[in-house]
Amino acid sequence: MAQKFSLDSSKCIYCAGCVSVCPVLALTLDETKILCDEGKCIACGTCEKGCPVAAIKITKPK
Amino acid sequence: MRIQTEYDAIVLGAGPGGSTFGKKAAAAGMKVLVLDKKKEIGTPVRCGEGIAEHSEADLGIKVLPNAVASTIEGARVFSPNGKTIRLKTPNTRGYVLERKLFDKHLAMDAVRAGAHVLPHTLAISLLKKDGKPAGVKAVHMGEEIEFRAPLVVSAEGMEAKIAREAGFDAKATLYDVDTCFEYEMAGVPCQPYIDLYFSSRLAPRGYVWVFPKGKDVANVGIGIGGNAGQNPKALLDQFIHEHPELFSKAQPVEYKGGIISVGAPINEFVKDNFLVIGTAAHQVDPIHGGGIGLAIQAGNMAAESAVEAFKKGDYSKKNMAAYEDKWRKQVGPKLAKRLMLRKVLEKLSDDDWNHVVGSINEADLDKVLAGDYKPVVAKVLITRPTLLKVLGVLMG
Repeated sequence: MAQKFSLDSSKCIYCAGCVSVCPVLALTLDETKILCDEGKCIACGTCEKGCPVAAIKITKPK
Repeated sequence: MRIQTEYDAIVLGAGPGGSTFGKKAAAAGMKVLVLDKKKEIGTPVRCGEGIAEHSEADLGIKVLPNAVASTIEGARVFSPNGKTIRLKTPNTRGYVLERKLFDKHLAMDAVRAGAHVLPHTLAISLLKKDGKPAGVKAVHMGEEIEFRAPLVVSAEGMEAKIAREAGFDAKATLYDVDTCFEYEMAGVPCQPYIDLYFSSRLAPRGYVWVFPKGKDVANVGIGIGGNAGQNPKALLDQFIHEHPELFSKAQPVEYKGGIISVGAPINEFVKDNFLVIGTAAHQVDPIHGGGIGLAIQAGNMAAESAVEAFKKGDYSKKNMAAYEDKWRKQVGPKLAKRLMLRKVLEKLSDDDWNHVVGSINEADLDKVLAGDYKPVVAKVLITRPTLLKVLGVLMG
């Protein structure tokens, strides 16, 4: 299955804004990396909308 | 360095709130550990770095000279068509900080008081004993460690992951956050004022700020409503493009940004064996998104309650409720008024902004900041009665 959460790390400023707005605690900031627990992610797109540098793309599962 | 794992309290996050709690609790004899997920406390900076000078006296802190980038005399508000109100009173004096140093100094003070501090340590889950919080599991230098304490304090900032795992409703919605982007720029001609540019076009539901960090260096940032559906970086770039008088020679030396609560504080700060302080509890000013002073204040209040609980050997919610009661009495009402103001200001069009800024003066702005809205709204309504629908709520 395709990944729901994808991040362009060349844009990311690792501010963890996405972690703050994720409603299901699927995201973690580990130093400069955003990690997504794909099992928890519900592909709601909140992180994509909130990201200040448009670094996130959410793909809804088909 | 040998790491100890048994404490009276474990604090998550060595920001201003966490370090303040650590310092005060350790000074009172508690064995405290302050964890921070970053290898370097205070990074990455996610804010405009401003703090009022009177905060030092209010909070009982001393900002060290090398943490002060510049001294501020007041604030200026710019309307979309360039009208300005300048506000300069003893209350508007302040500093633009070097957060990386400011936060580190507070952590050092916590160490001096006897607290343990451990950077580069990511808390990954809450530990429980008999169904109650009893510590955290964390990763430090590749090793999973169980830190145990009868009290866990979340000073986690916006992420608030362990607080949410503990059952606190600290989730941030897009409506109640601002999404922010900021350049630190050199080559910006600066005056000793923090400048705020309002525009529903360039900063929907927020504003652009220029906070000087020296004669020709400034934090140039933007915060917009999280649900505005726009990219703050793109809007800030447009603002910079439209203001060559400020930015024709400016170049960025650092990129910063983040998401900040501009809503109400969370509905509960205390549970058995768990406290939430500062930005993790959404204790943030809804107008400017500032939370440094509020976090320090909450850190002090929470530590008072924690020390009482420590003396009794009982960290139940009941025993620590004084922190929340005191906060909701002393701080809550003021922030609630500011939230009401935010919800009104976000409805103003650019034309409304031009009118409002054009029809009020410095004394009026001072009143607004002090929470005395009524006389100022009345003045604005004389020349634009149609704004009653938007501003009327502030007349109550």
